[in-house]
Amino acid sequence: MRRRAVIAVAALALAAYPLVSDDLYYQNMIILSLVFAIGAVGLNIISGYGGYISLGQGAFLGLGAYTLAIMSTRVEGVSVWVWVPLAGVVAGLFAALLGVIALRTRGPSFVIITIAFLFLLQLVATNWKSLTNGTSGLTLPLPMWSIDFQNWPFYYSLYALLAASLLLSWRIRRTKFGMGLIAMREDEDKAATVGIDTPVYKLLGFVASAVFVGMAGAIYGYYLAFVDPIGMFNILLSVQILLSMLLGGRGTLWGPVLGAFLIEPLNEFSNNSLGGGNARLLVFGGLMMLVVLFLPRGILPTAEGWIAARRARGKAGLVGARLELRERPAPPAQPAPTDRALLEVKALAKRFGGLKAVNGCSFAVPEGSITALIGPNGSGKTTVFNLIGGTMRADAGEVFFDGERIDGLRPWRRAYRGIGRTFQITRLFREMTVLENVVAPLRAFRVGQLNAGAMSGPEAERAEELLDFVGMAKFRDQKAAALSYGQQKLVELAQVLMLDPRLILLDEPAGGINPTLIERMGDMIRELNAQGKTFLIVEHNMPFVLGLCDPVLVLASGACICQGGPDHIQRDPKVLDAYLGEDFVLAEA
Amino acid sequence: MTQFVQTIVLGLLIGGTYALLASGLTLIFGVMRVINIAHGAFLILAAFITYSIWRATGLDPLVSVVFTTPMMFAFGWVLYTTAVQRVRGAHVSSSVLLTFALALVVEGLMGVIWGNTSHSVRPPYVNESFTIGEIFLPKAQVYGCALAVVVLGALYLILTRTWLGRAIRASAVNPSGAALVGVNVSAVAALAFAVGVAAAGAGGSIVSVLYPFLPGSHYQWIARLLGIIVLGGMGSLPGAVLGALLLGVAETATVTYISPAWATAVPYVVIFVVLLVRPQGLMGARLREDVAAA
Repeated sequence: MRRRAVIAVAALALAAYPLVSDDLYYQNMIILSLVFAIGAVGLNIISGYGGYISLGQGAFLGLGAYTLAIMSTRVEGVSVWVWVPLAGVVAGLFAALLGVIALRTRGPSFVIITIAFLFLLQLVATNWKSLTNGTSGLTLPLPMWSIDFQNWPFYYSLYALLAASLLLSWRIRRTKFGMGLIAMREDEDKAATVGIDTPVYKLLGFVASAVFVGMAGAIYGYYLAFVDPIGMFNILLSVQILLSMLLGGRGTLWGPVLGAFLIEPLNEFSNNSLGGGNARLLVFGGLMMLVVLFLPRGILPTAEGWIAARRARGKAGLVGARLELRERPAPPAQPAPTDRALLEVKALAKRFGGLKAVNGCSFAVPEGSITALIGPNGSGKTTVFNLIGGTMRADAGEVFFDGERIDGLRPWRRAYRGIGRTFQITRLFREMTVLENVVAPLRAFRVGQLNAGAMSGPEAERAEELLDFVGMAKFRDQKAAALSYGQQKLVELAQVLMLDPRLILLDEPAGGINPTLIERMGDMIRELNAQGKTFLIVEHNMPFVLGLCDPVLVLASGACICQGGPDHIQRDPKVLDAYLGEDFVLAEA
Repeated sequence: MTQFVQTIVLGLLIGGTYALLASGLTLIFGVMRVINIAHGAFLILAAFITYSIWRATGLDPLVSVVFTTPMMFAFGWVLYTTAVQRVRGAHVSSSVLLTFALALVVEGLMGVIWGNTSHSVRPPYVNESFTIGEIFLPKAQVYGCALAVVVLGALYLILTRTWLGRAIRASAVNPSGAALVGVNVSAVAALAFAVGVAAAGAGGSIVSVLYPFLPGSHYQWIARLLGIIVLGGMGSLPGAVLGALLLGVAETATVTYISPAWATAVPYVVIFVVLLVRPQGLMGARLREDVAAA
């Protein structure tokens, strides 16, 4: 509540400032802070929510400024302001272009791309003299309004743009779109397996992070009345925008604004009192080092962490609480699996350099069965899972699901068809709450859905039911990272169930959890199976597998060497051989 | 035809120096998944140190490699142990941001010490050339390339023939495995970082003769070096050499056949095209990432 009051007062004070004071020095400082803030709020959408750190955000300001400068010096007789929306469109188009180039890159390669993007634009602006007038730059028409209004039009239009940017950022954070972006930040491959169409999200994220910044850039250029390649595509400008976001708190709504209103005055200080130039480099380079090393989360999240820690002092943590397993009715008898194959894998092959991880692997999973996939370590089980789920592409072979070929489909398309999977090392979205983790999966891609509330409607209810089913309802508001390994396994199961999959791939569901929980896991699998779910389970715990699964597939050296009922498997000489090795001889007494 | 051969030869000569510079960058990336954005700033720093030595003593800039290399080695070691080490294991963007910040600080310091004007080191042979038939080979380029090849060869021998080299490569492939067999991974990482920066030091001395430089030149250099390692495949040493030669030729060809103004665009275009068409680069392998977390 107090926080809201602070924000409201700050917003009002900012709106009233030019009316009560005619000090142009401070007005200028606020105008530049607004430009930084719009840049940082935009950047926060793709970097703070989506996890893609960009060193080229200033390029969108430059693109906007150049759009306005080029148009207003060529087209006469119209107000300069009409080019502001066009600048937003241009910035959006370039952002989409950058997004397309960046679709296949992430992490370090992505940062490289953003730097290259900025420098290339600077070079084009320098060399394409007929359009941009090269290093001499373009001088813009002077504003036509009365001197009495000072810089009000600049001031208030930027103020309005910042409000619009914040509204967009706030809205995105609350929609399925924002949830998908955050899921991407936490674990992009995993996000794809729970139905998030990552390329579309990335592209839209880029555009959303650039449009208002392009418009702000246009106003910024008009305000300066002069644009040139050095000033507009200056990397230090991008650094200051990035630093605003980092300092205030990435991934927060207000952090970038707070950061901008700290960084811009610091910029003025280092220019006016320290002499600019090298001092500016030292100040901002040094500050960025300090922030990365000692304040990586930024001011707002760190402060919130302190407050939360103070409040929680002396209270027992929920995460350590005992898992309560409610008595559930005994699962009904397992229905007999049909003969129809729900999943069929034919001659699958995958190589890592010289290692043939999967080598001509073929098998079928009957609909309605709980099928096990066992084999010695390194026999290719997890790789087979990755090929079925689409996290990796096979070098050769075919995968059929429900009679249709799916090996060319991207992971989220396979999730839409009804394949869900868990990971051997649990891969929850660590910074999201348990409930958010379970709500995140999507069963289909629809444009309208992007704008739907993240935590509303039938999905949220369904998620609560599923959490209740796995016994984790009490933990719904905990961050996933705070959970124990066993608890994470349960949440991951609930997450996959959210997809309402027909086939569930479980990678070592009983690995690393206590015997009671193993038993509970087995009961849940039986109960879900009775409701019609088909399972394919990779597991090393043989009593668990043999008590639960039929048929059992045995993998060795990347191929399926044997399949059949549990009794059959235990006696097959090929299986003994695969597990114990060719030269295994019982020690003579 | 002569012009064509001349272009190729000049490209390969400059590519040799690029190879030395890029090898340090790719080594650091390969061992610790850190993109050292400050690599360009380090090499300009070494160029300025070479300049000061040359002004004070008249020592041949290429000879001053014996000073700049150990100095930059020590500098790299100190930077790693005080700063870079702290962000290892954090999200990959932290190390990019940190080294970028480092580049800004080094740029600012160089501006304070040497000023923001263009400098160049001009030993007596700088305007002389060897000629073979109609092809001319500028002496500075030939000496620079030869020196780069020697240092690169030494680097290669260190990596393949010494215990340190094996430890570095083991840490690159599997840090926890290397730790299990008795490699002090963090000490090795510090040395690898220092070796990478030392390569930038040696390369910087060579660059001081070949190009004029000022503190702000480091942006152009880091762009070029990033283009090279992206083209060659990030983390691959042979890839860096191949990428460096190709980029050297592409740049000289652009200067000859298009315009010097657009030669600086070559690395950016290379980065876009490679990451769009073949993200793993020419000699980089796609590694399985699913077990990396385990």
